[in-house]
Amino acid sequence: MGFVKSDTQEVVGSTEHRREYSRDPEGMLQQLRDPDPARRRWAARDLGEFPEYVSHLVDALENEDDETVRQAIFDSLARIGGDEVAELLLPFLRSEDAQLRNGAVEVLTELPDATAPRMEKLLHDPDPDIRIFALDILRVLPHPKSPDWIAQILATDDHVNVIAVAVDRAADVGTPAMVELLEEVGQRFADEPYIQFAIRTALERIATGA
Amino acid sequence: MTPLAAGKEAPAIQITDADFQRFRDFFYRKTGIWFEENRRYFVDKRLVERIRETGHDSFRSYFTMVRFQASGEELQNLINTMTVNETYFFREEYQFDCLVNSVLPEVMKNKRPDDPVRILCMPCSTGEEPYSIAIKLVEEWPEIDEVDVELVGTDIDTTVLERARQGIYTKRSVQHVPPALLKKYFDPLPGNHWQLKAFMRQCVDFRQANVTDAADMKRFRGFDVVFCRNLLIYFDDRSRREAAENLFGVMNPGGFIMLGHSESMSRISSLFKVRRFPEAIVYQRPL
Amino acid sequence: MARILVVDDAATVRSYHRMVLEQAGHEVSEAENGLEALEKVLRDPVDLLLVDINMPKMDGYRFLREVRRDETIRAIPAVMISTEAEDSDKELAWHAGANTYLVKPAKPEVLQRLVALATGEVTA
Repeated sequence: MGFVKSDTQEVVGSTEHRREYSRDPEGMLQQLRDPDPARRRWAARDLGEFPEYVSHLVDALENEDDETVRQAIFDSLARIGGDEVAELLLPFLRSEDAQLRNGAVEVLTELPDATAPRMEKLLHDPDPDIRIFALDILRVLPHPKSPDWIAQILATDDHVNVIAVAVDRAADVGTPAMVELLEEVGQRFADEPYIQFAIRTALERIATGA
Repeated sequence: MTPLAAGKEAPAIQITDADFQRFRDFFYRKTGIWFEENRRYFVDKRLVERIRETGHDSFRSYFTMVRFQASGEELQNLINTMTVNETYFFREEYQFDCLVNSVLPEVMKNKRPDDPVRILCMPCSTGEEPYSIAIKLVEEWPEIDEVDVELVGTDIDTTVLERARQGIYTKRSVQHVPPALLKKYFDPLPGNHWQLKAFMRQCVDFRQANVTDAADMKRFRGFDVVFCRNLLIYFDDRSRREAAENLFGVMNPGGFIMLGHSESMSRISSLFKVRRFPEAIVYQRPL
Repeated sequence: MARILVVDDAATVRSYHRMVLEQAGHEVSEAENGLEALEKVLRDPVDLLLVDINMPKMDGYRFLREVRRDETIRAIPAVMISTEAEDSDKELAWHAGANTYLVKPAKPEVLQRLVALATGEVTA
């Protein structure tokens, strides 16, 4: 009793071995269907080293109901990155499941090179919710074209909630070139106190260069 | 300053903006630690130190050596230099109170009789934190006589681990240790230093590990309590999430994790559940 | 006067709600997602929650379910506020534990009135 030390040099802590899957991608894919979420989670983490299994990870995402496994899959997808990941994640923006939507948004923001070429299409999607998610992606996506994209929405979108989010982004990445556009939006939504407030905020930020 | 003989002065080593960017990207890829622009002075100063120390005369030749050195020794030296360690005994003691009064009782409820309780300090730096926990448990947690406790301290920096094993501390480091405990657990050394007694030094298992390295972290598992204080603040979002994933992996279901008092897991990851205890907010891996 | 926690991922929305509610004499704190809100309200309970639905990390529905599960904070009334205007969304909000539902963007007087009702300052 009292303080003890683990007797192995390699692994500290529980030395329970329950490894019956092979340590290659095939074994990991099997493990991804294990009834125990803890083991599915490890498989999802390990598969993050194998870009050629991206589609399997995405498939697993749809049937996975354990939050920690989903998170591990999203993290692995973010680590792999690239066009295929971005392409396969886009449909999740339309998911009814908020966690899947948010997870997809989070990964896409971390893949600027893959997401940027798909941005225009998202920003012109007929579904206002998708346009809002696109603006959510822009909140953190470090991309030089962000101000242009936001300006496009301000100039063309007529959905009040999409405009609301776009003005919020303009407060973050707005440029002096946007001032006129923001004032024009203010006139279009003259009877929306929130939009008026948001535009004042954005204009003040742009003026002070904050 | 000692004036150097003319002509013998070491040539000034410049770190250009481009050098800084390259170094920063490289260091980030290797460690997950990202230096903001406002850390530039700190980084430059230490880089120049390492360049001189290794006998190089420019960033370029030093950087080439770091990247291609097979042993990785100089990278480890760099990591050691770049990660500062500010710590002392009983820092943020309310969290240790929380451990003894609230967290461990709950951990014990879900334990099988013969299972040890496993506690991890990551990063442990020069050992003040895990040793504080050891003292706290011996002093205030009677169950220590009934159960085995595995107390593990890890750090990315091998020099601090060596110092942790030696257990020699300055006056400043032990200033919050009550006199009675100082007498009981430390031996005074010349020069106003204190050394933790050998029987206490043996309580902690020190190991090298990088919290953002999944392969490293897989070597640790089955922990009931993790202390990860004031480390994640140095990381960017992505590395923080990786670290949170890795920490989740080393913990038992129902295990607890404590962060520094200004840190919040809710900005990092939704893997953990927030728990409020009388002494502190703690995060829990769901059962 | 009530202490109100405003939970929304858009900074401008939070400032707007802060302004409107402070004008009505309330004390406002902010959180940018459900997780942060849960942590804040556990540390420091409030009189009312004003909660957006779509947020990263933890959305409004899940946040309210967590609040209703914790006995120390479950009695705090909550107003859900979202862009969705369908009855099914209101029903989801109701099931998650919302007391009232508000479609945004909200007019100041509507928000102030709803908050007064939810905190029991006035009765309907």
